[in-house]
Amino acid sequence: MDETIYSRRKFIKTLSIGVGSLLLLPRCTFSKASDWRFFTNEEGALVDAIVEQIIPTDEWPGAKYAMVTNFIDKQLVGPYTRHQEIYRNSLSAIQIACKKAFSKKFEELAWDEQTDFLVSLEKNEIATKVLDKSVANGNPIRDADKAIIENWLKSNFFSLIRNHTMQGFYGSPRHGGNYKFVSYRMIGLDPYPIMGQNRYKASSNGQ
Amino acid sequence: MANKHVNAIVVGSGAGGGVVAKELSVAGMSVVLFERGGWAKYDDHDQDELFSQRTTVLGNAYGPDNIRYKRVRMWSEGEKTIVLPNEGGYGNNAACVGSGTVSYGAMAWRFMPEDFKMKSTYGHVEGTTLEDWPISYEDLEPCYEKAEWEIGVAGDDSLNPFAPPRKKPQPMPPFEHNKEAQLLEVTAKRLGWHPFPIPMLRNSIPYGGRPQCYRIRGCVGFACPVNAKCGTHNTVIPVAIATGNCELRTHCVVSEINVDDSGKITGVTYFDEKNKKQTQTADIVVVAGSATETARLLLNSKSSFFPTGIGNENDWVGRNLQDHAYCGANGIFDHDIYDDKGPGASIAISDFNHHNPGIVGGGVICNEFNALPYLFTGIRPPGAARWGAEHKKFQRENYKRIGRAQGPYQELPTFDGRVDVDNTVKDFWGIPVCRLSGKASIKDADGTAFMADKAEKWLLEAGAIQTWKTGVVTGERPVGGGQHQAGTCRMGNDPKTSVCDKYGRVHSTPNVFVADGSLHVTNGGFNPALTIMALGYWVGGYIAGEWLKGNRFK
Amino acid sequence: MAMENKKSRKSNFVTVSIIILVGIILLFSSFYTYWNAAPAEQTCASCHEISLRVTSLSHSAHREVSCKECHGTALSNGLHSLKEKSMMIVEHLRGKNADEVRMNEEQYLTVMENCRRCHTSEFSNWKSGGHSATYTDIFLDEKHNSVEQLNYDCLRCHGMFYENSIDELVDNRTTKGPWNLTDKKKATQATITCSVCHSIHTDGDIKQTPDYANPAEIFYDRNSKVPEVSFYVRAEKTHVPVNLLSKPKITHEGEEIMVSDDPLMRNCVQCHAPNSFHISATSDDRTPRGVHEGLSCMACHEPHSNDARNSCIKCHPAISNCNLDVTTMNTTYADADSPNNIHWVSCIDCHTDGSKKSVFEKNKPVLR
Repeated sequence: MDETIYSRRKFIKTLSIGVGSLLLLPRCTFSKASDWRFFTNEEGALVDAIVEQIIPTDEWPGAKYAMVTNFIDKQLVGPYTRHQEIYRNSLSAIQIACKKAFSKKFEELAWDEQTDFLVSLEKNEIATKVLDKSVANGNPIRDADKAIIENWLKSNFFSLIRNHTMQGFYGSPRHGGNYKFVSYRMIGLDPYPIMGQNRYKASSNGQ
Repeated sequence: MANKHVNAIVVGSGAGGGVVAKELSVAGMSVVLFERGGWAKYDDHDQDELFSQRTTVLGNAYGPDNIRYKRVRMWSEGEKTIVLPNEGGYGNNAACVGSGTVSYGAMAWRFMPEDFKMKSTYGHVEGTTLEDWPISYEDLEPCYEKAEWEIGVAGDDSLNPFAPPRKKPQPMPPFEHNKEAQLLEVTAKRLGWHPFPIPMLRNSIPYGGRPQCYRIRGCVGFACPVNAKCGTHNTVIPVAIATGNCELRTHCVVSEINVDDSGKITGVTYFDEKNKKQTQTADIVVVAGSATETARLLLNSKSSFFPTGIGNENDWVGRNLQDHAYCGANGIFDHDIYDDKGPGASIAISDFNHHNPGIVGGGVICNEFNALPYLFTGIRPPGAARWGAEHKKFQRENYKRIGRAQGPYQELPTFDGRVDVDNTVKDFWGIPVCRLSGKASIKDADGTAFMADKAEKWLLEAGAIQTWKTGVVTGERPVGGGQHQAGTCRMGNDPKTSVCDKYGRVHSTPNVFVADGSLHVTNGGFNPALTIMALGYWVGGYIAGEWLKGNRFK
Repeated sequence: MAMENKKSRKSNFVTVSIIILVGIILLFSSFYTYWNAAPAEQTCASCHEISLRVTSLSHSAHREVSCKECHGTALSNGLHSLKEKSMMIVEHLRGKNADEVRMNEEQYLTVMENCRRCHTSEFSNWKSGGHSATYTDIFLDEKHNSVEQLNYDCLRCHGMFYENSIDELVDNRTTKGPWNLTDKKKATQATITCSVCHSIHTDGDIKQTPDYANPAEIFYDRNSKVPEVSFYVRAEKTHVPVNLLSKPKITHEGEEIMVSDDPLMRNCVQCHAPNSFHISATSDDRTPRGVHEGLSCMACHEPHSNDARNSCIKCHPAISNCNLDVTTMNTTYADADSPNNIHWVSCIDCHTDGSKKSVFEKNKPVLR
């Protein structure tokens, strides 16, 4: 106990937490339900597709490469806990809508179909569109699904995920996105500015 | 154990409070300086755009935090929203020693003589509470000088013919312009305007035992990694502490000003760092918690002697909440004008601050602080893609090619725009929170349109290939209350239409003072930090002077 | 009776305690044995948060090095490690993701000792050079401290692994002094250890010395052959490989000078940097211009000792065309008045055009 002082109680507490949790480790390896913190694997795939639409790959990598989904997932169990509900429900609403309107998952749609879908979502028109289409298809939606679409398939979710995508892509990698500072390199901004301090100049002036 | 009685309590260690604490303790008075936050450390929050005081999406770097604080915002009649400190409508000022002066952009403006005489200059404006200050520029001039020399300002007013008269130059030479400002300087001269370097509370040379600024990319919204930004936390507060007369109590939230059975103000009640309720008695209480929090504390101090809160006999506490109507223009150039030198803002023109035909007041126009990449995702011409391949391409091609010129238009105060308290919503300590409500003046439309027009002209003359205006007021809008918040405890000679007298003393008490932006009668066409510091010297100097003469403010 | 009861209760308590204790010891030691014997995939890397880092190590030149050599096992690195690892699991089970494994400063110092075991010459070179400066050397330098206040940014290049803030390192942050290290143990500790410039979690490749016969390889075309060179960015608490660091743009009298493409040099420039205006020779910039423009730092400096003596003769004949002995010339940067400051000596310094005094006249070289 040279520099660090541990009280006996603290020591025992740490030890028992440590031993206890270490024993759980092997089980943990086999029972991984999701690769994400908040998202299910299905949601993760959907978010990957949406964020890639918001910042697509061109000559520079897009949002998926930049691990934007990881950024959002990480914030949803941190500062964005308050957005969990809207994410869970809106993501589910998107898949229900895609199933009803296209009989496919969102991420299985063609690129332009995905874009159109999100454009309508941004304009807050998608819910009506999907409901009309399903009626036209003679494939009316169950009341429960209809309620989810009406309540959660709204432009405010699009604004939210749009902003979060921008944050994940253009913010600091420490928050889980902007993998290898890809956005900074794209813009031509030094991730770590090269700058010394001016003290040599200052001291030679005698100031 | 009860706290020892002291001569003075100062609530809030920002631009105003820090200065007052220093003035009083240097004069030999015993002082307790309360701060709701702790010391801001650059190590805890460095150049992380998403977690700063400017872009607060993941939280306010230096507080207040989302867990313990909230406010109520009335966006329109009957539409009540709870807002968290990192959300737009909250109007946060950093909760740390030095408050906003730790992370501000550090512009160091003196208001112009006209700014103290708005009503005399422009007459009564319908629907506003435009008024003259009870003090003039000449009264405050020595305090500006003290603020500039004790806290540290780099600038040179000689290039600005509209600058108010001064007895002594600023203590440090101005900063060298960045690329954008160099371009705008030539252009402004061509237009017959008078460009000059923005005076800054930053060290352009080593000053006050601290090094010179090394021009880091992100300055506004962040603490300084080399301690070259001058705030109250690294200047006057250490001086106050070094006298041995000033005790700084961090992580202490003052909830109420105490009144005894005879109606005498005796001190304050506060929650200490362990959230334990405590009392501190003093001869004098100086409130300097920012325009929103100062008003809240006065309004929350209800007693049989002050049934509607201290100083609120005529329902003026919390009224006239003002901000600035930021407006200007952005322009895209066909060549790089960004050179990655901080803080970005460098050049100003003061040609359109007053005496503009048909306009009440005006404002300074400056080139903007650097927009970091996330902030830049919102800077787009009208109609441009907000996402997708086109948005990304714009970001890549134009990040270094956008010039921005903006200024704080002097918002006209309204009686409606106000802070009061919502007794149904309480913060972590059970104290009723601020409620911000009312509309800003519709008259700001002309002024903002005028200024944005000038800014656009400047950018076009500089060679911008596409420009667009920003911040022009077009209709009714809720009152501001951002970092430039001011006006809620207006100073004046008539107790019926003001809260404090010309020395910041609350009219209806002998020993409660206000020393922050709340005192502003009008908010000038400038960033207000230096004026708040000057008012700190004005109020603090008055109290200290009287105290030394034997006045005990009973 | 009551007495006996109390007694037996007491002995019961002792027995139960002993059984629990033995149980814990048994569990713990069996786990410890398992932990040490099993491959990383089944222990450390089974925690998916760090699988990326484990993968990168398993492909690197240091793939033979096991996790515990640097990170310590639960016990060998004391309570800190035990607490750190168990808290990661607790956080994980709570549904919160623990961040990547960060080592503390003590561990980085241990790592240095590990590096030393194999890389003995590099270690002794480092020891002989300026980068082995201790906390006392850097932070209690009176000359510096009386001119300039210590600030947060110092730790960007000195004492990067220091875990607290600068306020807690030196007890007095004024230019008046006296200054003391609050933690006396730090006095003799190194501030710039191996891990500042090296990370072993990288795709491996074997180090090669530049081909001095090929000018391009030591000038502008030089490519990194040592991918484990990466700069420790204190703010991000992570290593950034040199190829992701920016190549500096540096100007001299308004003109941009050619800077070597050598990624290794980007590491040097992170700290030996010009001012924010990127003007040559400002602040601590030493980017070569003049006759040596385009040269990488590594062309002359030994990377660990930073020694550049005897590097001239790699390219120049010992006795130059002007009859100068390059092995004894004063080429130092440290002496601002050195006529031959290798970093920015230019043709005109010797071959004067008449408008300017030649250094030959100013400072007569010793001719043989």
